[in-house]
Amino acid sequence: MIKYRESIISAHHNYLVNGMLTQAFVVGNPNSRMEFFLVAEIVPPGEITPRISARLVDEKAQLVLELDLNKICNNPGRCSHQLNAEGFRILNPSGEALLEVSTKIFANGYLTLLKARLFDGHGKLRVEPFDGSIRVHGKADLSLKAPIHKLISKSS
Amino acid sequence: MNGVWIFGDYRNYFQNRVTLQLIAKGRELAETLATEVTVVILGEEVHQYAMEYIAHGADVVMAAEHPDLKYYQLETYTTLIARWVEAFKPDIFLAGATSFGREFFPRLAKRLGTGLSADCVSLEVDPEKGFLLQTTPACGGELLAEVVTPHHRPQMATVHPGVFQEIPHDSTAVGRILYPEIEVQPEQRVKILRSQRQQVRRNNLEEAQVVIVGGLGLGSKEHFRLLFELAELLEGEVGATRPAVLAGWADEEMLLGQTGKAVKPRLLISIGTSGALQYTTAIHGAETIIAINRDPHAPIFKMADLGLVGDCTTILPLLLETVRRRIRRERMDD
Repeated sequence: MIKYRESIISAHHNYLVNGMLTQAFVVGNPNSRMEFFLVAEIVPPGEITPRISARLVDEKAQLVLELDLNKICNNPGRCSHQLNAEGFRILNPSGEALLEVSTKIFANGYLTLLKARLFDGHGKLRVEPFDGSIRVHGKADLSLKAPIHKLISKSS
Repeated sequence: MNGVWIFGDYRNYFQNRVTLQLIAKGRELAETLATEVTVVILGEEVHQYAMEYIAHGADVVMAAEHPDLKYYQLETYTTLIARWVEAFKPDIFLAGATSFGREFFPRLAKRLGTGLSADCVSLEVDPEKGFLLQTTPACGGELLAEVVTPHHRPQMATVHPGVFQEIPHDSTAVGRILYPEIEVQPEQRVKILRSQRQQVRRNNLEEAQVVIVGGLGLGSKEHFRLLFELAELLEGEVGATRPAVLAGWADEEMLLGQTGKAVKPRLLISIGTSGALQYTTAIHGAETIIAINRDPHAPIFKMADLGLVGDCTTILPLLLETVRRRIRRERMDD
């Protein structure tokens, strides 16, 4: 038997994670109040903006930033949010990009690529740049079928 | 896994719709067999096509992305897909009867030790036994043969572009994508130095509302050239039968028939064509057929809505002049 990796894809919009298309994904624990997470939600037909929420911590497990549907909602790390033609970037005070989000436009659909180097609360590398987007170390849920934003909002 | 597999030939995707047409037919077959439609796709940066196949009705896309798969290489593709077929055991595997499918699929069938029905014009499932009934022209196109593959799997067939109708793009569609582990061994015997798209005159035969078809009865390349003027006046496209292509009067791209394209225009004018089955299987979808041939017993008249018996080298210039005059008059009236 040949081993294979599997995810759920949309005809309209996907993210690229671990070299795979996926309509949504979760890394970390968005239900916790303090732990690291990165969530990319389903973008429904008719919309083109990716939906990224995250709680980013540094290598020493200090909270840097919370992002709610692409907008900074808590910013102890004094990061800045920069829009550009393809998407947006989150920059730290020294101007380094913590997270870059860009969307490619196809004839009938969209593909969002992320670029980031992210750590969890134990200082472990969880996300790093790979193949034009990101690779996740450890568990990532690529089978998200429904929006989870309400769940995140409640727990935060 | 089993199911119905379609080979995803995405080259020239937005013009070549045969993979989408096969997905639509695959859906029908899969529903009868209570299984899934999987599109197999190899290449580099194939994300867009995977999404398109889901939008057009595939349940699953099975993808392999690798720089060595960027260009089609017969041995590499055959080896990789044969491994997948042996592992996942699909019941049915279909490909477009394009130049690509015609080279690649026989090789794959041989490797898998199964049969292949080439250039099918119909595919159905036997309701009792569940076998794929593959209808394909035989004996030089004089007969339609129904082929079944009872003892070997997968049941493999190639199908003409234009035989089936694609399902419209549905951006709400959702499916699964599988990325099997792959071991790509680049082809040793062939080294691709560069790849360049061939510049050809745009021919949109499959979508044309008016099609003018020329056969050997036109007598010469000069007479065949008149078809282009007629097609231009009627805002149509020119097709050709196999003998006209073999005579060097028309490009292979214009070939209609079991080894060429199938069309479904509102109006088809068939000039100097006898009406051999290998040609007429490709024009069944035409709404109105006008045939011109000097032989009153030519089979083409059996399917024509209007027939003109006469020498087409005489009739064609008259027809051209009539159409020219009519168009001039309409312009003046406007």
